Amino acid sequence: MKYKDYYAILGVERGADEDAIKKAYRKLARKYHPDVSKESGAEEKFKEVAEAYQTLSDKEKRAAYDQLGSHRNGEDFRPSQDWETRFGQSGMDDFDLSDLFSHLGGFGRQTRRGGFSMPGQDYEVEARISIEDAAQGTELDLNFEAPSLDDRGRTRRTQKQLHIRVPKGVVDGQRLRVPGKGGPGVQGGPPGDLYLNIGFMPHRLFKTTGHDLYLELPLAPWEAVLGAEIEVPTLEGTLKVRVKPGARAGQKLRLAEKGLPKPKGGAGDLYCVLQIAMPEKTNEAEKALYEQLQRESKFDPRQHFKAGRA
Amino acid sequence: MSDILDLLSHDTRLHFEELLNLSGLHQDEVHELIELGFLQTHEENDVRFFSTQSLVQARRAARLRRDFDLNISGMVLALSYLERIDVLERRIKELECHLLG
Repeated sequence: MKYKDYYAILGVERGADEDAIKKAYRKLARKYHPDVSKESGAEEKFKEVAEAYQTLSDKEKRAAYDQLGSHRNGEDFRPSQDWETRFGQSGMDDFDLSDLFSHLGGFGRQTRRGGFSMPGQDYEVEARISIEDAAQGTELDLNFEAPSLDDRGRTRRTQKQLHIRVPKGVVDGQRLRVPGKGGPGVQGGPPGDLYLNIGFMPHRLFKTTGHDLYLELPLAPWEAVLGAEIEVPTLEGTLKVRVKPGARAGQKLRLAEKGLPKPKGGAGDLYCVLQIAMPEKTNEAEKALYEQLQRESKFDPRQHFKAGRA
Repeated sequence: MSDILDLLSHDTRLHFEELLNLSGLHQDEVHELIELGFLQTHEENDVRFFSTQSLVQARRAARLRRDFDLNISGMVLALSYLERIDVLERRIKELECHLLG
């Protein structure tokens, strides 16, 4: 099994007192707690920190940990025979270091003595789906690793597989709960739940907020001036949209109920956000037309700069 | 081992007791969070229900309390900041949608 240097993880000396350990934990929790931090990898980091703190903040667990001796972080090791006898836990190869102490200290001992039923652990799994999948509903194969307690109350990491049908109408960032699909309960407790965090993959054309879709709709300058009838992509084929003459960049055209379907019927809207696109190159003939326009037009786009001037 | 789960059938409403069990919050904490508007409830025939969203929120509250060793006012403070951040992030996302290109 791999050795983890809990002291190094918390950034404290081996002889640090309870107070120093608590302070170090608080500092790191503020930095990496998944509810607070948006840093990538924060959740993994917090789990490490919490594991270190759980062991070092419990007198009994800390003593057992210290007795393992000092090893390099990540070094392969096995607890000595003596240790195993003394702390009543053998260190099998597929064990995680924290498994060695799971039966010691506050909560662990209660489970060992029996009579305490505990709900199983909740699992949280990220699932990335496309906007099209969200619109139609989809099926997902989830593969993830989750800790679970074996019949002796020890934590083991096992590979889990679930096939899940995601109903249509989910939105980006939504959490779905699947009752009873978390870890098994301890001593007759109910199983935990599975929480599925839905995230949308980036789409070539659409962005979403809730059930509404946003589509950038570029117009040629003359289309903006003269108005146009334009074919617009939606999730269900194209749709003809009339842009009125005198369109401005940033204006939104709302296509009612052309967004993502809602679970209980109806749908969000599709917003086309108008943009005025410029050609990268302008040929001589086009240039001449613009020059003619420049001479003819009285339009001053910066009129408001002058307002209030004497 | 393949297990087909239809999530729509699980779009359940939770009773008060279920919310307590699933979130790990204390009864008083749940009452306070309802009063302060952090947990939304729906009533039907005088029975109070919670949505999955409320459960997610309640679990977050319990996590914060446990991992930061907070009392209820600290928990409420943390939740209100996090909720504000959620609102602001949603707003940013919305604005980004308007500012395509």
